Amino acid sequence: MATVKLTNVKKVYDKNVVAVQDFNLDIADKEFVVFVGPSGCGKSTTLRMIAGLEDISEGTIEIDGVEVNDLEPRDRDIAMVFQNYALYPHLTVFENIAFPLRLKKVNNDTVYNKVTEVAEILGITDYLMRKPRALSGGQRQRVAIGRAMVRDAKVLLMDEPLSNLDAKLRNQMRAEIILLRQRINSTFVYVTHDQTEAMTLGDRIVIMKDGFIQQVGTPEEVFDMPVNLFVAGFIGAPQMNFYNTELVKEGNDYYVTPFGTKMKVSDKKAEGLREKGVGSMSIVLGVRPEHITQGTPGSKDAFTSKILVNEMMGSEFHLHTTCPDGSECIVRIPTLKLDHDARLALTAGHDISITFGGEAMHLFDPETERNLLAD
Amino acid sequence: MKKASSIKRNRILSNTAIYIILVVMSIIWLIPFVFILLQSFRGETHAQVGYILPKEWSINNYVELFTETSFLKWYANTLICACCNAVLQTMMVMMMAYALSRLRFKGRKFLMNAMLILGMFPGFLTMIILYYILKSMGLTQEGAVPGLILVYFASSGMGYYVFKGFLDTIPKSLDEAARVDGATRFQVMRKVILPLSKPIVIYTVLTAFMAPWADYIFASYIAFGTSSGYNVAVGLYSWLTKDMITSHFTLFCAGGVCIAVPITILFMCLQKYYVEGVTGGAVKG
Repeated sequence: MATVKLTNVKKVYDKNVVAVQDFNLDIADKEFVVFVGPSGCGKSTTLRMIAGLEDISEGTIEIDGVEVNDLEPRDRDIAMVFQNYALYPHLTVFENIAFPLRLKKVNNDTVYNKVTEVAEILGITDYLMRKPRALSGGQRQRVAIGRAMVRDAKVLLMDEPLSNLDAKLRNQMRAEIILLRQRINSTFVYVTHDQTEAMTLGDRIVIMKDGFIQQVGTPEEVFDMPVNLFVAGFIGAPQMNFYNTELVKEGNDYYVTPFGTKMKVSDKKAEGLREKGVGSMSIVLGVRPEHITQGTPGSKDAFTSKILVNEMMGSEFHLHTTCPDGSECIVRIPTLKLDHDARLALTAGHDISITFGGEAMHLFDPETERNLLAD
Repeated sequence: MKKASSIKRNRILSNTAIYIILVVMSIIWLIPFVFILLQSFRGETHAQVGYILPKEWSINNYVELFTETSFLKWYANTLICACCNAVLQTMMVMMMAYALSRLRFKGRKFLMNAMLILGMFPGFLTMIILYYILKSMGLTQEGAVPGLILVYFASSGMGYYVFKGFLDTIPKSLDEAARVDGATRFQVMRKVILPLSKPIVIYTVLTAFMAPWADYIFASYIAFGTSSGYNVAVGLYSWLTKDMITSHFTLFCAGGVCIAVPITILFMCLQKYYVEGVTGGAVKG
């Protein structure tokens, strides 16, 4: 129904605090875009600028090709779900959902039909006559989503809608939002600090830090090819392990040498490095915990790390280990095929031999912090 | 067992002591009211007497009050002032509080500080200059009622603190949600903020009603000796002179009772909200 285009958007608060810098993004019709980043990165501010709740210091925002910089929120045809639900406490659930329609002076029959239809989709029909204070957190959030849905707005904005819910409810609501998205053909802009939500919900993810966009891409892209150390560390849980080491070029092949080992970079990555003309250099090597495997002790392509803590997560162990240089390294080992002795060998205090394949390596320039293979 | 019974005995003793003190205090506090009420029904003489219980009960004082004195006029003056002020001041305070609580504009902090400092000066410092301004507009003496309304209303915006404190406890995201839902600022105020601020609105109405109801200084100055411009406080006080008191004392008491009645009824009906309003800043409304 609508595209959203942000061009060179900048937000400066009084006293020259810059919240968002040079934000450029084209959101396609019916796309689900997630802004993600640590708190204070400017993601909510950007969303609020799209909503019209914050002034835009520089740049333009267009919705459906129309510049909305100076339009009031009510003239932008957007709907928004807030983190704290923002339900009107003095109105019943029915009237809460009907509120936007009442303001438009829609006739009573249409209001009734629309509200009951939305309530049915969200499974809140039984609570329509209750006041918000008599609802649980999950039910309140459904009402808030219902109020946003009933408008048939061009763009649906969601500002950390699940962060006030407990973990179980959050998973459930996340799935419901995915289902909801299939039902209502709206353009979604979703803000979260939770990378799991970002990965599972978004068609595209915008990763932000200190007001700057770090990377825009599909969940696969940002996971497989993080453009810099920040994105690499932010996406994925537990976070990626980093080692300061050397990249060595020998003929057409590249090797990394963490802790005196020599591991070959995959042919595909080597090809990319060759194309970019990368030679031997110091690098930061990044490897995700789930891509680490147990190596053969003493072999050339494995190093030894000491297990500090073993977290039993059910289907896997999360091992917090100390590398030979004292840095921390997290390893995920699936428990399914481990026998009793193998499990015993993974308890705290034991050594573990660590290795990883060439395709699991992410190579970063220590100075620019950029991925050596990124464009 | 022994211990338990002695704790119980101590509690009964201390409760009894506390209740005795409270009862004595309330009797002392109530004596003037009971005294005035009893005097207003005394039929034998208009003058002050040395006893409390009337020898002859009658409602003549009330009949005389409304038929033979200017009390009805004063009462009407006061009621008009109080009602107008209740409406106008509440609207003004509401708008001030909303603007200062919700909008961010240049000079907001300065404005609030300036009003805080100005509010520390007693209002009657401006009395002389106000009198001349009102006089030049013909709003003194016979025209005292509109003049008084103007004076009360003009400074009312400065009493926004309690209202703003209450509004500050209403989450801002409610305003934002309503604005995104399609409401104008005025609709946000009318459909979201106002229904949630009922206790504080009632508190404001009550205080705005009370101030002119009990005002003496401004009212007496602006009426400047013209009986038709008096409010009840000034009018009744004019009876408390050496030559008037003997012929008007019981009338004075009857007048006092008449003043207390509407306020008492108002408070009884609205006291639930009044308490909520006073404590509104502390407990989320």
